[in-house]
Amino acid sequence: MRSYPELRPVRWDALAVLAVLALAAASALLLWRAPAETGAVTAVISADGEERERIDLTALSPTTITVESRGYTLHVLLSEEEVRVTESDCPTQDCVHTGAIHGSGQSIVCLPARVTVRLEGGAPADGPDLVIG
Amino acid sequence: MKLTTRQLTLCAMLTAMALALSYLENFFPLSAAIPIPGIKLGLANIVTVFALYALGPGQAMLILLARCVLGAVFAGNLNALLFSLLGGVTAMGTMILLSRSRRFSVYGVSIGGAAAHQCGQVAAAVLALGNTAPCYYLPVLLGVSLLTGALTGLVSACLFQALAHTGLTRI
Repeated sequence: MRSYPELRPVRWDALAVLAVLALAAASALLLWRAPAETGAVTAVISADGEERERIDLTALSPTTITVESRGYTLHVLLSEEEVRVTESDCPTQDCVHTGAIHGSGQSIVCLPARVTVRLEGGAPADGPDLVIG
Repeated sequence: MKLTTRQLTLCAMLTAMALALSYLENFFPLSAAIPIPGIKLGLANIVTVFALYALGPGQAMLILLARCVLGAVFAGNLNALLFSLLGGVTAMGTMILLSRSRRFSVYGVSIGGAAAHQCGQVAAAVLALGNTAPCYYLPVLLGVSLLTGALTGLVSACLFQALAHTGLTRI
């Protein structure tokens, strides 16, 4: 044995755990910022790094869009409230299991098909942020 | 790097074991519980941790590269190579640094490796998909890596404990 590792947790391991937790919390704060409550949310569907569709979800009645990429076909259901992949013939089905997304910044990823569905916007539109009285 | 026949044989055997573990974890799909693309237990990391301590960074890296290439060939999916290589090499680099510091136990090293693996895979996904959508999963993946890292650390610790009495690992 070149070097024998310490086999019981030591104090420094807690530091490793804390570092990972801190990284997780920092990335969550950075990436999961609460979306603004008003404004238009846009669904951006990309395949193979190229943007395919950009759909404004404001007052959108439920619509299904078919995305074909790398020999796979995904059915994306979009409505004003949420976006989800209802059907996919990819082997992993992670995109379907992800379920519905509804807030700005959220995304659905299908690795085999190289498809991403991302919600953008949600920033306050031209109106006032808050009306009092 | 010059390897003795004994070292080469051991590297080949450990590569085969890593591939078998990668296949085995398909039967425990973590993605069924947490639906994130590419999420898994990372059982092959046990081999990496073992090789790192028992054989040193050079041979551990050889095993890792052989595992990634052969894994992609067997799966018939060369696209997966980018993911396993980027994840694996990032994890290996982190674990070499952590083990060299001699301050962390096998648990700390394993957790650091698991967290680095997730970061590497997210980077690979960003490269492959051409946008930053996969970053959205990073916080969850890092949280999960604490559990999977602790699990592989536990298995590795048991492995070293069991082998300590046999003298098999005195190479």
